[in-house]
Amino acid sequence: MTELRLEGVSKRYGSAEGGTSALTGIDLTVRDGEFFTLVGPSGCGKTTTLRTIAGFEVPTEGTVSFDGEPITDIPPEGRDVGVVFQSYALFPHMSVAENVGYGLQFRDPPTGTTVDERVSELLDLVDLSGMGERSPDQLSGGQRQRVALARALAPEPDLLLLDEPMSALDARLRESLRLQLKRIQSELAITTVYVTHDQEEALAISDRLAVMRDGELEQVGRPQEIYREPATRFVAEFVGDNNVLDGVVRDSEVLPSGRKRGRTRVDVGDTAFELEGVSEDARRVSFCVRPDSLSREADRNRFTVDVETTEFLGESVRAHGNWNDIPVVLRLEEVPDDTVTVGFAPDDVHVVERW
Amino acid sequence: MLFRRLEPVRGWLERRALWLTALVTTGVLAVMLYLPVGVVFVEAVLVDGTPTLDHFADVLTDPFYFGFLADVIADPLTVGTHLGALAGWLAGVSISVSLEYPVPGVGVPIPWLGLETPGVRMGLFGFTAYQAALSTVASVALGLPAAYVLANYEFRGRRTLRSLTILPFVLPGIMVAVGFYAMFGRAGTLNTIFGLAGIGPFAFVEANPLAIVILAHAFYNAPLVARITVAAWESVDRRAVETARSLGASERRAFRDVVVPQLAPAVLTGALLTFIFTFMTFPIVLALGGLQLATVEVWIYDRVQRLDYAEAATLAILETILSLGLTYAYLRYESARSGFARTSASRSVEPLFPDLRTAFTPKRLGVLAYGLVALVVFVGPVASLVVGSVTDGGGFTLRNYAFLLERQLEGATFQTRPLPAIRNSLLFGVATLLIAVPMGVTVSVLTARAGRAGTVVDALAMLPLAVSGIVFGIGLLQGLVFGIPLPGGWRFQVTGAVAIVVAHAVAAYPFVTRNVSPLLSSLDRAMVESARALGASRYRALVDVELPLIASGVVAGAAFAFAISIGEFSSTVILAGGSESYTMPVAVERYLGRRSGPALAMGTLLLVVTAASFVVVDRVGGRYEP
Repeated sequence: MTELRLEGVSKRYGSAEGGTSALTGIDLTVRDGEFFTLVGPSGCGKTTTLRTIAGFEVPTEGTVSFDGEPITDIPPEGRDVGVVFQSYALFPHMSVAENVGYGLQFRDPPTGTTVDERVSELLDLVDLSGMGERSPDQLSGGQRQRVALARALAPEPDLLLLDEPMSALDARLRESLRLQLKRIQSELAITTVYVTHDQEEALAISDRLAVMRDGELEQVGRPQEIYREPATRFVAEFVGDNNVLDGVVRDSEVLPSGRKRGRTRVDVGDTAFELEGVSEDARRVSFCVRPDSLSREADRNRFTVDVETTEFLGESVRAHGNWNDIPVVLRLEEVPDDTVTVGFAPDDVHVVERW
Repeated sequence: MLFRRLEPVRGWLERRALWLTALVTTGVLAVMLYLPVGVVFVEAVLVDGTPTLDHFADVLTDPFYFGFLADVIADPLTVGTHLGALAGWLAGVSISVSLEYPVPGVGVPIPWLGLETPGVRMGLFGFTAYQAALSTVASVALGLPAAYVLANYEFRGRRTLRSLTILPFVLPGIMVAVGFYAMFGRAGTLNTIFGLAGIGPFAFVEANPLAIVILAHAFYNAPLVARITVAAWESVDRRAVETARSLGASERRAFRDVVVPQLAPAVLTGALLTFIFTFMTFPIVLALGGLQLATVEVWIYDRVQRLDYAEAATLAILETILSLGLTYAYLRYESARSGFARTSASRSVEPLFPDLRTAFTPKRLGVLAYGLVALVVFVGPVASLVVGSVTDGGGFTLRNYAFLLERQLEGATFQTRPLPAIRNSLLFGVATLLIAVPMGVTVSVLTARAGRAGTVVDALAMLPLAVSGIVFGIGLLQGLVFGIPLPGGWRFQVTGAVAIVVAHAVAAYPFVTRNVSPLLSSLDRAMVESARALGASRYRALVDVELPLIASGVVAGAAFAFAISIGEFSSTVILAGGSESYTMPVAVERYLGRRSGPALAMGTLLLVVTAASFVVVDRVGGRYEP
C-alpha cells in the first residue's frame, strides 16, 4: 500500500513573475490506507492538487512521491492511480463492463483472476452485478458514479483519487453513496484522496482532511480537530456554522463572576465576556462559539439576539440574526420569538486569532 | 509500484505517432499546396528573373479590373477629386415606384421600387464581388426556409433529405451547368411544362444569364446555408424559448429574442462561405454566361488558355489574397462563436402535415409554396439531366447509354471510356479519403492542443478553402507536372494518379477538419484523463477514447472527402492530361460535344455513383449520430 507525500509543491500558470499562482508550497503527507480529503471554496487549489497527484499537472516546484519514490515527472499512465471525476467521464461508446475492464488492458488483473472475473468482482463490489452489458447512458447518475468508481478500482491502483464525485447527485443519494464509498475504501484499505467543496461531506467521510484557501493549506487534521479547534478564522467560518467575535482582552481581575483561575475578561463592544483559554499576553482576540454551544439556559455570557430568519431542520431549528450588528447563528429546540437571549459556558469557546 | 514496461520501439512510435502524422501532413501540404501556390506567386513577381511589382501595379490601376477604384488606387491622394466624383454619382441616384408585370405572360401587376443609378464601372473584381453578393443573398433566401422546415417539422424522409443537402455541394460544376441548361434552356423541362399549358417558350438563359448563374450558385450554396443553420437550430434549447414565453414574451418575440441570436452566427457563417465560394466560381459562369459574364476566375482561365501566365498569375494572387482574407474572417468568426454551449437540447418538432384539416394554414401553404420553388431549383436541373439522358426530341431512348456501352466495348485506347472513368473516380475517392482523413484529424488535434496559436495553424491549414481550383491547377501544372529542376540535373515531377489523389486530398481535408474540430473541442477532458490514469498512453487514449467519440465527425468528413474527390474537376482536368487517369467529371466534359446526350448519360452515371456512396455513408455513419 502507499503513502503519498507532497513536498513544497507549487504551481504557477503563465510566466514566472506575471503568471497566477494556483498552489504555493504545499507540504502534505497522506498515510497508508487513509481517507484524506481536500476541502475548500472553489478556486482554492484543491483540484489542482489532486491533478498534480494524478500527473495531469506538472508542479512548477516541489516533488510528489509515492512511498518515498519521487514520481513528479512520471506521466499519469505510469503512476498507477485510479481517478473518479465529477462528470463521471465514462466512455459512452463502451459498455459498462468494457469501461470497468479498460484499465486491465494496461495493468494485469490480480494474480489468479481473469479480466472478466475482475470486472464482475468490481461490479459486485459497487452493487451493479449483472449490469455489465448496459450502456452508460442507460444508467442513473448514481449508477454511473459507481461504474466510474469500479473502473478506477479495477486495476488495483496504489492510490484512489476522487474529484468532487458526488456533486452532480441529489442530497439523499449523495449520503448513501458516501456510506458505500467509505465502506469500500476501508474494505480495500486503499489510500484515498477526496476533493470536495462540501465541508459537511468532508467532516463526515474523512480520516483526516486539509482545508485549503488561495492555493495554500490552512489546516490539516482529523475532523474533530478541525471542527472543534479551527486554526484560523477562515477555517472557523468555513467548517460548520460558527460565530466569530472580535474582542479586547481586559484585566483578569474584574471578571463579572468574580475571580476564577484561568479565566479572562474579553470585551466585545460594550459587553464583557468571561472566557477560558485566552493567553495572558494577548491584547485582542478573535474567538468562535459554535451554535450548539449557545443556549437559552446558560447562565454566563448572556446576550440578546434579534432573530431575522429561522430554518426548521427536523430535530432542531437554525436561527440567523444579529447582535450589535454582528451576524449570529443559533441552533435551538423551538422556533424563537423576535428576540432570544442566549449564553455560553466560558470553556465552550475556541480562540482563532490573537494579537 | 507498477510501471508498465512497453516494447521500446512500439512505445517510441506510439508516443510520437501524432508528431509523425503531423510531419507527413506538413510534407504533403508543402509539396502539394504551398509549392504550387508559391510557383504561381513567383510567376507573378518575376519578369525575366528579376523581381518586380509592375504586374500588380498594372492590374490594380486598370479600370478594366478595378473599375472606378482603379483611379483611386492609381492616385490615392487626390481626395478632393474622388469625393467630387462620389458626389456627382450620388446626385444621379433617383428612386421611383412603378407597376411592373414581372411574370411574363401573366397580367399580375406588382408595385416595383425602381432604383435608378448612373452606371458604375465595377471592373472585373467589382463584378465578381457583385455577383457573389447576389448569389449569397439568393442562397440565404432559398436556404433559410429549408432550414426552417428541416429543423421544426417531422416528416417521412426528413433525415434523408437532411443528408441529401450535402449532395449539390459536391456535384461537379460542369454537370450542374448541363443540368441547368436541360432545365431552363429553350428546349428545357420548364419550357416543356409551360408548353403543355400553352405558354412560352421563354428564353430564360439568354434573357438573363446573370439570373440563371445566380440561381445555379444558389443550387450549390443554399443547401450549405440550410445545413449549417439546421445544425444551429436543432441545438437551440426549447427550454430557453419556454423561459422567454413564461417571462411574458409572445411566440414571435421569443423567436426574435432567443432563437434568432442563436441562428444569426450560423446564417452568417453560411453566407460568408457562400460568398467565398461564389467569388471563386468558375465552371458555372463559364458554361452559363461565357466571357460576357466573366468573373476573375474565368478571366484567369482565359489568360491561361492564351498562355499569358504572368497576368493570370497576378490575377490569381490578388484573388487568393482577397479570398484568404475572407477565409480568415470566417475562421476568426467561427472560433469566436464556438463559445456557444453545445448542450444536448430538447427539441420540439411537429409533424409537417398531421392531417388534412390543418394542411391549409398559411404556414403550411408557405411551406408548400417553398417546396414548389425548391422543386424547380434543386430537383429540376438534376431531374432534367436524368430525363435528358433517356429522351431525345420525341421520346424515350437508350441511345445515349448505348453509345457509352459501345465506346466501352469498342473504343480505342486514346478515347475516353466510361468504365475506367468510374473505376478511377471510385479508386481516387477511396485513396483521397485514406489520406485526407488522417490529415484532417491531425490538424484538428493539433489545433485543439495549440490553444491560442490554434487559429494560426487553422488558417494555414485552411488555405485550400481559399485557393481556387484554377489557381491550384496552374500551380500544379507549372510546378509539379512540368517539373521543378533540382540541382544535379534531376527534375522533381509528380503526375498521373498519385498527383490527382494527393491534390484531391489537399482540397478535401479541410472538410474533415471542419467536421471533427467542433466535436473534439466539446469532448470532456476528464475522459482522456481517466484513460491515462488507467494506464493508457496519450496515443492509446486518442485511439480508444477520442477517435470513437468523434467518429461521427470523421465519417461525415470522410464522406465529404470522398464526394469532393469524385466531383473535383479543375485540377483533375489539368493533371489527368492525356493520360488514362481521367475521372467521371472529366469524362462528362470530354463527351460534351455536338450532342449533349452522351454527356447527360455520363453525368447521370456520376450522379448515381455519388448518390449511392452517400446512401452507404449515411447508413454507416448514422450509427454514432446522436
